Amino acid sequence: MSSRALALAAVVVVCVICGAGYVTVAALTADGTTSDAQPRLVLDSDGAAALAPGSELLVRAVDYDNPRLNGRLFTLTLAAGQQPRTAGDLACERVHENAAGAGLCLAAKRHGFDYEGVVYGAGRRPLHRFSIPGVPDRARVSPDSRYAGFTAFLSGHTYSAGVRSFSTHTAIVDMRAGKPLFNLDELEVTRDGEPFERADANFWGVAFTDGDHFYATLGSGRNHYLLEARVSTRRARVIGEHIECPSPSPDSTRIAYKRRIGKQDRWRLHVLDLRSGRDVPLSERRSIDDQPEWLDNDTIVYSDDRNVYAVPADGSGRPHRIVARASSPVALR
Amino acid sequence: MYQAERSGAMVRAPPAAAGARQRGARVSRNVVVLGTVSLLTDVSSEMVAAILPIYLVFALGASPLQFGIVDGIYQGVSALVRLASGFLADRWRRHKEVAAVGYGLSAACKAGLVGISGSVAAIGGIVLVDRTGKGIRTAPRDALIALSSAPSALATAFGVHRAMDTAGAMLGPLVAFGLLLIAPARFDAIFVVSLCFAVLGLAVLLLFANGRPRERAEALDGDEAAASSTTARPTLREAAALFAEPRFRTLVVAAGILAIATISDGFVYLGLQRILGFSLTAFPLLFVGSAAVYMALAIPIGRLADRVGRRLVFVVGYALLLPVYAVLLLPSAGIPGLVLALCALGAYYAATDGVLQAIASGLLPDNLRASGLALLVTATSLAKLASSVAFGLIWTLGGLEVAAAGFTVALVVALLAATMILARSPEVAS
Repeated sequence: MSSRALALAAVVVVCVICGAGYVTVAALTADGTTSDAQPRLVLDSDGAAALAPGSELLVRAVDYDNPRLNGRLFTLTLAAGQQPRTAGDLACERVHENAAGAGLCLAAKRHGFDYEGVVYGAGRRPLHRFSIPGVPDRARVSPDSRYAGFTAFLSGHTYSAGVRSFSTHTAIVDMRAGKPLFNLDELEVTRDGEPFERADANFWGVAFTDGDHFYATLGSGRNHYLLEARVSTRRARVIGEHIECPSPSPDSTRIAYKRRIGKQDRWRLHVLDLRSGRDVPLSERRSIDDQPEWLDNDTIVYSDDRNVYAVPADGSGRPHRIVARASSPVALR
Repeated sequence: MYQAERSGAMVRAPPAAAGARQRGARVSRNVVVLGTVSLLTDVSSEMVAAILPIYLVFALGASPLQFGIVDGIYQGVSALVRLASGFLADRWRRHKEVAAVGYGLSAACKAGLVGISGSVAAIGGIVLVDRTGKGIRTAPRDALIALSSAPSALATAFGVHRAMDTAGAMLGPLVAFGLLLIAPARFDAIFVVSLCFAVLGLAVLLLFANGRPRERAEALDGDEAAASSTTARPTLREAAALFAEPRFRTLVVAAGILAIATISDGFVYLGLQRILGFSLTAFPLLFVGSAAVYMALAIPIGRLADRVGRRLVFVVGYALLLPVYAVLLLPSAGIPGLVLALCALGAYYAATDGVLQAIASGLLPDNLRASGLALLVTATSLAKLASSVAFGLIWTLGGLEVAAAGFTVALVVALLAATMILARSPEVAS
């Protein structure tokens, strides 16, 4: 008996020393010096030169090996010989900002256990912070800096095998107050004038056209509807189907979006002309899970969570990689 | 801590002997050892489970959907593994060793998490192996608990084990959270500490658990004939014939009927959130609330079950789901309703989970105990899976009220049916 107690004591001592030692070292090096490391994201100047040369882009670095660098923001000029420039101290999982420099950064909290939204202003300095109940997915700021919208995945909501479901939390943020104004669950949705209620409705992918109107996706079962909504009235209309993560063009005539292919979680990027109703798939043939961004009226940028690509908005040409090891591209106009 | 019996008196005395009744209130040292093993292992696995979604998405760039797929594959594998390990433990008469393989696999997985970096597929594989380990160890461990306990104190023994197990499940996320506060975003530190807890659990099992409590008791008693009859190596046919045994079959049927009328706690929590409209950030608190009640009541309810009858407590436990369903149907219940629902849910777990294993252990022959327990758990978990799918469908098509009302009716019918079925068969094997 005593030899067993001795053996257990030995295991306990080894475990405590190893565990406590490792944690101590981890705690001491958690704020280590790797912040000075060079970003590994690189401008692909051939790709950049082929499409929209000279444009300005904001991206977040994708660098899983270096927690101090992952998510940090950089700006780039899409031209040969240009280097990425550090853009503030924020580290974001998803970021968006408007022409006035007002932005929303969805970030992991310092301890990495939880997420928060950071409203920022000029110089990408944080102004307000609020908690996000899930994993950041999409972010969009209105052109007049009044509102923003964000989507988070609620973790731990997979209830049983066979029924693969997910739940999203999408809210409109009051940028001045620096906190969420309302959840899209509260929207009064109609279709052809009739109330449109779905018990399993999920919302995601907000994108503003002005300081009041915005587009969003309503998912119910296997169907995905395009909503046109207003912040002031909190009402929404269903104006299309099979459209996810809408993104209006700068001239407001078209919507870029991702369209689900089959039953799997695979998407193809499309552009819908709102006046003619003409819908074209883009020349990117891989599945892309992103809310597309308009670089200008002719070019779409997006990421595959590893690199940033650009593709013509009319379905012609081919996709070009423009930044390696970056995601969440935002056109700076 | 619950009072453990010192000096292994339980081990030496034949549990069914006359002295067992006085000792019925106590619990064998082996049960406390196994409870400690579960506590340490649950701290280890729950601290990883708590951060795994965020680790996958934040550090590895996986989508939450990918994680859902990993989660989904597990169910079928687990059921098969559980049946096989239960039978093999009986066949080889090596409950402790088979359980140790399960605990060892999980510990090895924690080492794997420390060692590898950067691949979602590898993490998915490790999660799968980890949960296979859980599937392997459950049935032989529960069989060991039963073999170590006097028939009159089975529910108390399972209550002690489940209370310790739940304590570990609650501590795990707290440990993980504390570590992330000390060393922000250092998931590797969490994996190392998790490995330490897993190794400690395995060490306690290997060093202190008695793998053949019943056999040794009988051998020491000099009753060779009894020892050989209860330890005959079972065949697959004998294991399958368990279903032909009327008392065990009735129990499986009754438990299955009740399980089909059960709304899974995930849906209960989501329903409460929808109705009462509290912040989604408070979601994990719901789990903590009902787990705390479960932990506090597991032992007292186990003792009560041993005293007044396990089947009575088991059926009343399922009746405790009625107030939970009622709160889902009555939005005006508000915060008092929420508290009532969480308490009732915790008490339901305390009165049904370990108690069901105790009832079954009382019916099963020693040499087929792990096989029988595995069969029972697999049957009830398949029934619960079916009910989850049904509840999700009805909620989607008709709304939460319709689904909750339908399940309330189903539960009332199931309670009546189960009561009638169970009332017709004696509680303990003659």
